[in-house]
Amino acid sequence: MVGLRQSTDPTTPQPTGGPSPERPTSGAPAALMEALAAEHAAIFAYGPIGAKLDEDLAEFARDAEAAHRARRDALVLALTADGADPPAAEPSYALPFPVSGTADALRLAVQIEERVAAVWRAALRAGAGVTGAGALVGLVDAAVRATTWRRSAGITPATVPFPGDPCPPPPI
Amino acid sequence: MVFTMAVRYGPVWTRRAVLGAAGGAGVAGVLAGCSLFAREQPEPPPDPLAPLLASARALLARYQEAIADHPDLAERLEPIRQAHAAHAEALEELIGPPATPTSGVWSPPLATPTAGTGNPADVLAALAEVERAGEREARLACLSAPPERTGLLGSITAARATHAEVLTWSD
Repeated sequence: MVGLRQSTDPTTPQPTGGPSPERPTSGAPAALMEALAAEHAAIFAYGPIGAKLDEDLAEFARDAEAAHRARRDALVLALTADGADPPAAEPSYALPFPVSGTADALRLAVQIEERVAAVWRAALRAGAGVTGAGALVGLVDAAVRATTWRRSAGITPATVPFPGDPCPPPPI
Repeated sequence: MVFTMAVRYGPVWTRRAVLGAAGGAGVAGVLAGCSLFAREQPEPPPDPLAPLLASARALLARYQEAIADHPDLAERLEPIRQAHAAHAEALEELIGPPATPTSGVWSPPLATPTAGTGNPADVLAALAEVERAGEREARLACLSAPPERTGLLGSITAARATHAEVLTWSD
């Protein structure tokens, strides 16, 4: 749905290059490849996001981008150690909508973090041990950043009951 | 004469009777013990997530108390209260209701003031501390759970982390 895989999902950045390399379709490697693709896309998206924010929010965007880079690097190391061949980022990604101002930038930042939380939640189900711990950190950190971006965007409430859950139960 | 015979043979019969009775009682006692044990055996061990369900209910109660005592905080606390209610419902759906009520047993790992006391800033700070303790508890539960449970537990961990975050905001 996001990142390197060609998809019709309009809510997340899509690669603008050619076909994506083949990736596993099930199990831990596939889920981790999805997480890696989402981290690549997030790193790309924070460029145009940060460019439209004032200094305080731009600094938070830079911190978020650095966190995504660290998470990506740790994941690449883990995948390589397992004998996988993790794909590099695409040269460019098509954003789901034009980022022409602060409101667009905040909306995209919320979507990016919600997407990253969702892929790490999926990777958590498929992972174990050190990988599982890393996936949980990825989920929790993305959920907290999404909360901060919602607040900046004026979205209330800023929290959601089940971060990363693509199909949360209906509200009580 | 009768008395003498009774005295002479009495102990023999009495010993047999006693041994027989004791043996019977022993068997009966063992059977009774087995029977008693067998009645307790079907009681299943509590689910490993029972403490997390109890903590979700305890957190729910803390927010209900805080909202009742500080209506001015209701707008801020109500979404979090609803989240804990949703977590408790999801956990109960996953593991079933507890055999005995445990909601009043759980207490936060860290000693914190009662949510309903103090000024609003103290209430928010106390709740944030409880959320952080709850996040640690959920994190441990998630990392030791079978894969099919990690999604829900990961979301609960993340939710508690976001609660602690918003409770520290100054607005």
